[in-house]
Amino acid sequence: MARMKFLCDADRCIECNACVTACKNEHEVPWGINRRRVVTLNDGKPGERSVSMACMHCTDAPCAAVCPVNCFYTTADAVVLHSKDICIGCGYCFYACPFGAPQYPKVGNFGSRGKMDKCTYCAGGPEPDLSTIEYEKYGSNRLAEGKLPLCAEMCSTKALLAGDGEMIAEIYKQRVIKRGYGSGAWGWKTAYRETVAI
Amino acid sequence: MGHLSQSGVTDMRDDRKDEMGRRHFFRALGGGSVAAAAAITAQPMIATPAQAYDPGTEETKARYRESDHVKAFYRTNGYETLKKN
Repeated sequence: MARMKFLCDADRCIECNACVTACKNEHEVPWGINRRRVVTLNDGKPGERSVSMACMHCTDAPCAAVCPVNCFYTTADAVVLHSKDICIGCGYCFYACPFGAPQYPKVGNFGSRGKMDKCTYCAGGPEPDLSTIEYEKYGSNRLAEGKLPLCAEMCSTKALLAGDGEMIAEIYKQRVIKRGYGSGAWGWKTAYRETVAI
Repeated sequence: MGHLSQSGVTDMRDDRKDEMGRRHFFRALGGGSVAAAAAITAQPMIATPAQAYDPGTEETKARYRESDHVKAFYRTNGYETLKKN
């Protein structure tokens, strides 16, 4: 059985934020919530690195471990999803997640949080596939359409990989074998020579 | 309404009597039905044990399939390397 994974090739990511925009547009994510975001390390300095981050769909998900109402479940594709009908918006998962994936829409006053929202790996939710109610709650279900998450498909530099874990690991492995040291990007050594500490 | 007593202060005892009467009225009106409703709503809470959310097989089934669309994604992402294998 294929296990769905994300893999961001940090040597290729140029912090264009197309993945973030594509995700928000595809799922009509509410204001104030980013299911995906780009984190940049050493911004503006030689050797800076950007990584596109979202829910990593952990095998032993900490969000699921702390949820008091057990609204999380893992599909046969190893995608971690949740039911917004069960979620009580307590916020435990937000603190448990090392990637800051679960977020809460601020829909009311005095800290009321509504239902938690997170990356679904473009796989919808517990409602029937490709139904209107599923789209309204979780966004589109591209996996059921025979597609992959739009963030990865939109990536112009092919930095963000998604799909069968074994397949994308093989793609990344072959890239690293081919390019060896450094990013492999044209002009990298001209710009940074060999002295850049990565 | 209260009556003026000898000291000129309004006597509240009559008011209290009126209020009690009003309360008795509402108690007589709705007391019986409220108790019945409470018994009905309390019953399922006692009978139903707490259960964790357990999605069915339909919700957790595998949705990924290696369609032509997905194969094209793999091919274009590994075009530098995988096509030579």
